[in-house]
Amino acid sequence: MKNILKINNLSKNFGNVSAVNNVNLAVEVGSIHSVIGPNGAGKSTFFNMISGVLPPSSGKVYYKNNDITGFESYKLPHMGIAKCFQITNVFPKLSVRENVWSSVFSCARKSKFDFFKPLSNFKYIAEETEKIISDVGLSHKINDKAEELSHGQQRMLEMAITLGAKPELLLLDEPTQGLAPEATLEMTKLIQKLSKKHTILLIEHKMHIVMEISKVITVLNFGEVIDEGTPSEVKESKKVQDAYLGRG
Amino acid sequence: MNKYTITCLIIFIFLGPFLFPNATITEMLIFGIVAISTNIMLGYTGMLSFGQALFFGTSAYISGLILLAGFPIFLAIPIATLGSFLISLFVGYFCVKREGLYFICLTFAFNQMFYFIAYVWTEVTGGEDGLVGITRPEFIDTQLSFYVFISILFLTSLYLMYKIITSPLGLIFKLIRENPSRAEAIGYNVRFFKLVSFSIASTFTGLAGSLYVLIHSMVPIDQIHWLKSGDIIFMTLFGGVGNFLGPLIGVVGYIWLSDTFSIIWARWPLIMGVIFAIIVLYFRGGVSELLENLIKKCQFYFKKNKDEKYIKN
Amino acid sequence: MTFLILSQILNGLGLGMLYALVGVGLTLILGVLNIPNFAHGVLYALGAYFAYSIAKMTGSFYFAILLSPLLVVLVGFLLESQGVRRLYQAHHDYQLLFLFACALIIQEIIIIIWGPIGFSLLPPPSLSGALDLGILIYPKYRLVLICFAFFMIICLYLFLTKTNLGAILRAGIENRDMVKVLGINVNIVFLYTFGLGAYLAGLAGALSAPIMGLTPSMGLDILPICFVVVVIAGLGSIPGAIVAGILIGLSQGAATIWFPEATNVVIYLMMGLTIIFRPQGLFGVR
Repeated sequence: MKNILKINNLSKNFGNVSAVNNVNLAVEVGSIHSVIGPNGAGKSTFFNMISGVLPPSSGKVYYKNNDITGFESYKLPHMGIAKCFQITNVFPKLSVRENVWSSVFSCARKSKFDFFKPLSNFKYIAEETEKIISDVGLSHKINDKAEELSHGQQRMLEMAITLGAKPELLLLDEPTQGLAPEATLEMTKLIQKLSKKHTILLIEHKMHIVMEISKVITVLNFGEVIDEGTPSEVKESKKVQDAYLGRG
Repeated sequence: MNKYTITCLIIFIFLGPFLFPNATITEMLIFGIVAISTNIMLGYTGMLSFGQALFFGTSAYISGLILLAGFPIFLAIPIATLGSFLISLFVGYFCVKREGLYFICLTFAFNQMFYFIAYVWTEVTGGEDGLVGITRPEFIDTQLSFYVFISILFLTSLYLMYKIITSPLGLIFKLIRENPSRAEAIGYNVRFFKLVSFSIASTFTGLAGSLYVLIHSMVPIDQIHWLKSGDIIFMTLFGGVGNFLGPLIGVVGYIWLSDTFSIIWARWPLIMGVIFAIIVLYFRGGVSELLENLIKKCQFYFKKNKDEKYIKN
Repeated sequence: MTFLILSQILNGLGLGMLYALVGVGLTLILGVLNIPNFAHGVLYALGAYFAYSIAKMTGSFYFAILLSPLLVVLVGFLLESQGVRRLYQAHHDYQLLFLFACALIIQEIIIIIWGPIGFSLLPPPSLSGALDLGILIYPKYRLVLICFAFFMIICLYLFLTKTNLGAILRAGIENRDMVKVLGINVNIVFLYTFGLGAYLAGLAGALSAPIMGLTPSMGLDILPICFVVVVIAGLGSIPGAIVAGILIGLSQGAATIWFPEATNVVIYLMMGLTIIFRPQGLFGVR
């Protein structure tokens, strides 16, 4: 099984407007596969269809050869797919520990009765939680409320919540959006580190990040795939340059 | 809950009968169950249901009818509670599909649907006159035994609800309140857990309703009217949704105030309305938050004094 | 029998028109301000009571119908500017609760001023009596009510589709943020919307007085019906509210013929059917 995620002829229409049109894509196990494109290329719609937020108009999504097209998003983490949001999307009034704990619990719980047991009963979840939090470098903030963290720290927390599901496939939607240059660098390093354990599908706007770390890049424009290849191939592509420079 | 709150609760249970008449204090405990369970839904899960009287009233009718038919109370209470659980699954199934305003409208309309069923079905419910002639079983016939009976059920319910909110379930409820779409993304079926929260609140409200018939030996029809749902929400908010026992303070305050005013002036709901409006406009955290701030200020003050002494020494 | 059915259909239509008016008022407030107006019922009651007092003082029924909804608008302005507006920053639950508290207050004030016993308001001599329509004889006032309410709904429709303010209100229902983006003073828009909603409630209350009489609980009774109208219509749909209101009125009329004791239950039956077979409401999109 070489491809963990396979997307066949995926399309989405809003009324007469076609936001995503016949996209085909295959993500190899253990790789970083990026989807890039200028603003309005349909990246977000594409991401939302894979992650169960929007049902596609037509086409199929296969995960490990299972058809997961149109699955509700809460089912995906249990299958090994986790997503990270474009905007910071944490639980503001809860502590960092609670934020990550709930995510770990969601997939690691052993039975339905676990919902009713005291929180202190789950040592293995607490340990896992602390490990993930230290991995993203937030150990010193573990008891702070999420809303008290800085923007960069919240992005890291967001990542920690996503990792809590112990996913095999990570869906990242513009993880560096709105980050300062140093934080962007940190995030890029983290993504690289994560790719050793997880397969990553990265949706990005910024070219230079993608070029450094991806194995394969798919370029979208006006909802269609205009090119696909290794970073160096894409860099040379005339069509891609036109799309980014002249929108043409 | 820390040691102090538990001590306060126990003191309240023991002192209550000396401070208030028997009917009032038992009513406080019964609505205590209602408000604390409503808070699981309102404060913890962030769902405002305007139809909790539906469960309170329906359960009161079921329990009253079973008692009238001559069955023992140990059958009446569980069956009525189970009944409100089943109804909450049915009503909740339709309501939790929708969010925010639509949820409020639906619960509200369902409440009135059940009200009119009770209103029209006079042969069973007694219609406008309410269900009358229910007798209390002998073993809780005296004021003391009745109070003990109600407080045992009150404390048991409190314990159960406390267990729920301190379990992972309670945390999931908070996740839904904070950020439903993120909760969904980390693998929780939000609609399902909303239904769980709705059912928990409604079942305990139903339990309280089944006990309510015992106070006045009757079920007045206004216990199922939508105005009662408003009262329930206000009791909960009056106390404060920020912590577990806050709503209990609200219930005690609400019932004490309405009892006091209703003796003074027939138009007492006017005063209650004014109090509600002031709370909503100026004290949104409710009484418990007010107390908390006061305690914090005192602590700060004492600490400062201590520090000053320390410096002087 | 045909006589009975026809007259009940007309009764239902008249009732439905009133429901449509209040329902549209509630929908406007719900759509633009994003709050369920729990004081809508008492505004309806105020409309009726103001009309009663004005008619009694001036002796002119028409003047009462003209003035009383305007007084209700003033009450609506007061509620919006003194309470609801302060709470826009808070969660909409608190706005709802504020309006609920106001409903309790106004309800009690009505009882204090007009007493707990109901009244009846007679239509003016020119509108009293019945009209022979050939197939049936029907009270004049009820016929006029149907025509007038229909006329008001047309006016409302023209207002919403042909005027600038109407366009802004419709835009607000579609997308609240858009109004802010357009650089329009949101406070004014909200105030006018609340006022318009209050006007419709007050007008319906005043018009209903000669048919249904005045009781202090009339506000509490109409409120759930308004909400059912909104649920059946689909949240925020004005045409939906008109259709749903008339539909409920007609079904109540029909129920009076065959199951006179179930006239109130039938409303909720309609709602139940809607949420089972068309959960988004008749005209709802979401």
